[in-house]
Parts: sequence; C-alpha cells; structure tokens
Amino acid sequence: MSRQASRGTESKKMSSELFTLTYGALVTQLCKDYENDEDVNKQLDKMGYNIGVRLIEDFLARSNVGRCHDFRETADVIAKVAFKMYLGITPSITNWSPAGDEFSLILENNPLVDFVELPDNHSSLIYSNLLCGVLRGALEMKRSPDLGPGDMEVLGVSIRKEEAEGMCGSGEERRG
Amino acid sequence: MSRPAHRRPEYHKINKDLFVLTYGALVAQLCKDYEKDEDVNKYLDTMGYGIGTRLIEDFLARSCVRRCHSYSEIADIIAQVAFKMYLGITPSVTCNNASRNEFSLILDKNPLAEFVEELPAGRSSLCYSNLLCGIIRGALEMVHLAADVTFLKDRLKGDSVTEIGITFLKKLDEKKYRRKK
Repeated sequence: MSRQASRGTESKKMSSELFTLTYGALVTQLCKDYENDEDVNKQLDKMGYNIGVRLIEDFLARSNVGRCHDFRETADVIAKVAFKMYLGITPSITNWSPAGDEFSLILENNPLVDFVELPDNHSSLIYSNLLCGVLRGALEMKRSPDLGPGDMEVLGVSIRKEEAEGMCGSGEERRG
Repeated sequence: MSRPAHRRPEYHKINKDLFVLTYGALVAQLCKDYEKDEDVNKYLDTMGYGIGTRLIEDFLARSCVRRCHSYSEIADIIAQVAFKMYLGITPSVTCNNASRNEFSLILDKNPLAEFVEELPAGRSSLCYSNLLCGIIRGALEMVHLAADVTFLKDRLKGDSVTEIGITFLKKLDEKKYRRKK
C-alpha cells in the first residue's frame, strides 16, 4: 500500500496535538484488542519498527546528516535532530555505559503523553513504546552492511523508566 | 485514559511524517479488527469524533478566531486556519447549495495519504482518512453546530480530487451557550 513521499513544496510542519490525540486513539484501540499490557507493548513496538524502517529514509533526506563515525554521534543525531524534527523535543543523553555501547535518553515533555493518565488496570502498559520500535527499525536499516566482530548492532531499545510526579496540576515528567 | 490539561503543554511544531505513518498503522490495525469497510469507516469516524471534541479547545485557544456569523465563515476557518494548523494544508472551499449550508473542502494534497499508493485489495470502500470527518464533526458539535461530514470524493478511490462535504444541520441550542468573545 505504501510508497515513498514526493518532495512537494507544501509545509511539512504541523502542530503536535492532533498527533498526540491520534496516538492515544491507537493505544486505546490496541488495549481493546489485546487482553494484557505486554501484548500491547509488543504490538506498539512492532508497529513502531515498521514505521522506523520507512521513516529513516525520509529523515536522512531531510536532515542531511552525514555518516556517523561512532555511537556517540549517533546518539547526538537521534536526540538533537530526529526527536526535534518529529516530536519537537530534545531529550538529554545520559547514563553512558563504560563500554560506550548503551545510553539513556531522558524525555521531558514528551508530547505523546500530553493529557494522558494510565488507568490502574494498565500499570504495565508502556504507553510510548511505539518510539522504541521506531528507533530500533530506523537504526537497523542504517547499520553497516559489513558488520564484523566488535561492530555496533542494535540489540534493543526499551523504556526503562516512566515516572509521573504528582497528578494533574503540578509539573509532570515522563522519562524514557 | 485522558483528562483535560490542567497545565497548558508546550506547543510543538513537528514534521508530519511520523504522524502520517502512525495514522497508517492505526488504519491497518482497524482493518485487522473489522472485516467490512463500513465498520472501519464508522470506527474511524467515531475515533475522530472523540479527538475533535478535545482538539477544539486547543484550536480555539490558539487561533483566537472571532465569533462566526455564517456557515460560510466557519467553512473558511476550518479550511484556512484549522487545516493549516494541524495538517499544514489549506483546502479550498466551495459552497454547494443556495441555502448556503452545504460546503465542500477540496484537498489538493491529503497529507494523511501521502505514503499510500492505493487502497489494498478488497478494501475499495475504505474511507482511509475518515478520521478527519469525525474530527470536524466532533469539534463543531462542541461549539453547538451539528453537521454531517463525509468524504464525497477520494483520490485513493480513483477520483480526481479528495473532497470532504460538510452539511450544517439545525444549530444546537445557541442561546444557553453563547460563547463570549
């Protein structure tokens, strides 16, 4: 059903609220379709993966980023270019592992979770799990074809922590 | 799962593509869930309605539109302000009848269908972008305007343009809920 987007001259920008609400509708639908949160999480990841493998070409064409020489550069591009472009936010990069092969992105003000409270019966739901799949799919498409021992391969992208501080009214942070 | 915002979130301008692909995932999921196109269309409309009833508050707060005095003004605002704000396009507006309550929005390009070449086999009656109809209907209802909103033509179905028809019905009880401007 799908094809590459034509590069028209119309604006590629939109406000994020429609996306936020549509994403909410998608997650709600999945919660109806699957009995447990783990299955919803898995399906969100899978959907995100399929999105990521398509999105990466568009991202590279639009952003003009050159080839990254190490994982730190890749992390920077993800946080400062990709997240900015598609979600309007710039996560911070922290928690580098000693080997330099694992890091965390801390998302303040994730627009996907605006207006969202998880109900009690969905405490294991990883609401924004689509993002993990997108990152995984995008990165997997662009890994070096000549991978050898010691080269970088995407083993996994996961949301480690999602914290909500306070309920409505006070400041809320979502970390991922 | 949702609540009204007690704190206005930051306004983010984003690139459409992630949204467009996520929308495709949503439609694909509904096609798995419902065998008949009519059911998918209906469900997209219902989802859109839920979205529209929430989106309208954001729209009114950010667009500062003044009170409209005619359906034609409303149609213009939908096309030139709302579509621009949320989808980055400006459909053209035509009025379809002498009573001036039936309008068409002609979408030269439909961003929701940007990555869609054609409808899948066996899905020829699918109104792929039917979420939009529900959104418009839900949003209008929150400002006490009842309307029928449907796709009259769709490029994905082989038509020359994509056209959304809006028919304004009897105005809901306006006296009680007159919006202060």
